[in-house]
Amino acid sequence: MNTLKKWIETIRISLNQQTTYRLNFFLQVIGPGLVFFFVKYSLWNTIYSGNSETLIAGMNRAQMINYHSWVFVVALLTQGHASFNLSEDIRMGRISTYLIYPFDFWEFHTAGFLAFQILQIFIAIISCAVLYFSGLLILPTLSQLGFALALCFMVSFFWYFLQYLTGLLAFWLDETWIMRVMLQIVTTFLSGAILPLSIFPYWLSHSLKNSPFPIMVYYPVRAFMGELPFSTAPFLTLLPWMILLFFLNVLVWKKGLRLYTAAGM
Amino acid sequence: MSDISVFAKGLGKNFRSFKKSPGLSGSIKSLFSRSYQDFCAVSDFEVEIKRGELIGLLGPNGAGKTTLMKMFTGIIVPSHGELKVLDRRPWDREKSFRKKIALVMGQKSQLWWDIPALDSFLLLQKYYEIPNSDFVERLDFMSNILQVKDKLEIHVRKLSLGERMKLELMACLLHDPDIIFLDEPTIGLDLIAQENIRKFLLDYHARHKCTMMITSHYMADVQALCERLILIFNGKKCFDGAVSQFEKFLGNDKELSFTFASPQDPTHKLWNEHDARWKNNYTQVDLRLPEAQLRDFTIHALSTFPITEFSTEKMPIERVMKELMHNPKLLTRV
Repeated sequence: MNTLKKWIETIRISLNQQTTYRLNFFLQVIGPGLVFFFVKYSLWNTIYSGNSETLIAGMNRAQMINYHSWVFVVALLTQGHASFNLSEDIRMGRISTYLIYPFDFWEFHTAGFLAFQILQIFIAIISCAVLYFSGLLILPTLSQLGFALALCFMVSFFWYFLQYLTGLLAFWLDETWIMRVMLQIVTTFLSGAILPLSIFPYWLSHSLKNSPFPIMVYYPVRAFMGELPFSTAPFLTLLPWMILLFFLNVLVWKKGLRLYTAAGM
Repeated sequence: MSDISVFAKGLGKNFRSFKKSPGLSGSIKSLFSRSYQDFCAVSDFEVEIKRGELIGLLGPNGAGKTTLMKMFTGIIVPSHGELKVLDRRPWDREKSFRKKIALVMGQKSQLWWDIPALDSFLLLQKYYEIPNSDFVERLDFMSNILQVKDKLEIHVRKLSLGERMKLELMACLLHDPDIIFLDEPTIGLDLIAQENIRKFLLDYHARHKCTMMITSHYMADVQALCERLILIFNGKKCFDGAVSQFEKFLGNDKELSFTFASPQDPTHKLWNEHDARWKNNYTQVDLRLPEAQLRDFTIHALSTFPITEFSTEKMPIERVMKELMHNPKLLTRV
């Protein structure tokens, strides 16, 4: 009961903190995704210009825009930026305070992530409404929506574990941002956020089959579009990766903490 | 539970950093070949601190004081040696251990900047599982004494340094810790604020009988607060004893100052025997003389010269510290 109270209070504080600077918050949360969406929107409009019914990767213009609208929503639901400052916090010695509180650092960080997700969900709902009323997004049935949201929920934790791990590498590396940018670019490409995976050559899409990449964007988007029948397969594919990341995080934290110098204190 | 709060034996901490020559050529060279430098921040440190003691940890910048604090609180792991704080190894970081310690960092804020302090306190109440009645009572008591009752609901970033420091102290003491580490708690504060913090800490210590360890570059902090003093130089302990003992570290001499109504003859034999340092056109002099001669010498001077003001030094500890920092070789006397 006490543990739950600690989590709830930390989530409340994180919500307060994240919404203190409103403009910064909106730019951080919605800015990059929105720009990315409009770039893709313009690109596909040009590609389809003259003939909206042309099929590319089995999709006409409306379906392609619908696909990328859902990519935008999935990114909001899954790609929290809660770990963005973790590396800098480690490098600058800012995690010292959390090492003293009787609430573990991972608990504090995860509560912060959950707070961020709560805000992201609200923004995703508003984005869905705007895209729907703009005629760009086609809403799924309730069961499809449930399946897609469950997938997104799991993917968001996968992303969180991955970002946390790259953040923890700051115990060894002075700068981790380039690695995080590379990870983001590779993931964006291989997950289907730029091009639907059905466009990819067979050998590539086949080799990604057991990797987490398609589950990070392509599967949830297709689930939202009603093109992915309910199946436990994506969950079961992602689960071992999450378990692996979880244990890697525990190991890296334990090893890294021995090297921590609490600089600047 | 033993009577010892902190026990350290052969404690040491080494850091490693890579050396880089300045400029572009240095940067390019460091891409291919790096040389590392091992730095010993603390070496072979030994201490035994009893429960309820109030101890000052002194030393120049880079002496290893903060490194010791970090090891005592479990923030960093020692490279070697034995360390027990409240009978636990701090770097195991058990939650029950963390509930019993507190660290106040003068140079680093532990409060969340973008929210009012009260929000932070409520969060800490949950973390430390403080019963509501105790929380309200402690909050009320401390905010009254520190005179920050009206600051609790203001965003921390909007507060002055002094107000923030008071709230930092409150945040660290809300859970009634058994041992408190204070790393330069009065740094950057004005004289009144420094005095308020000192008064509060003394009062808190008297009430709670907790163990306190304080580092500070202000000798007034140490003089006012500490009963025992540990001096650390280049990572090594050089002195461990009572403050009164430290004051006599360089002998039993006392500093004495006189101000005269008119300029005096500096060649007078009375001055020459006592290391006279003249100021303000020979109207002020600082002298050093053995403690045993102080009374007779002062009576004699007062009856002989047109003295308008005289004083003995308020903080001999500061003079000792200054001399040691200028001339660390004096430490070989220990």
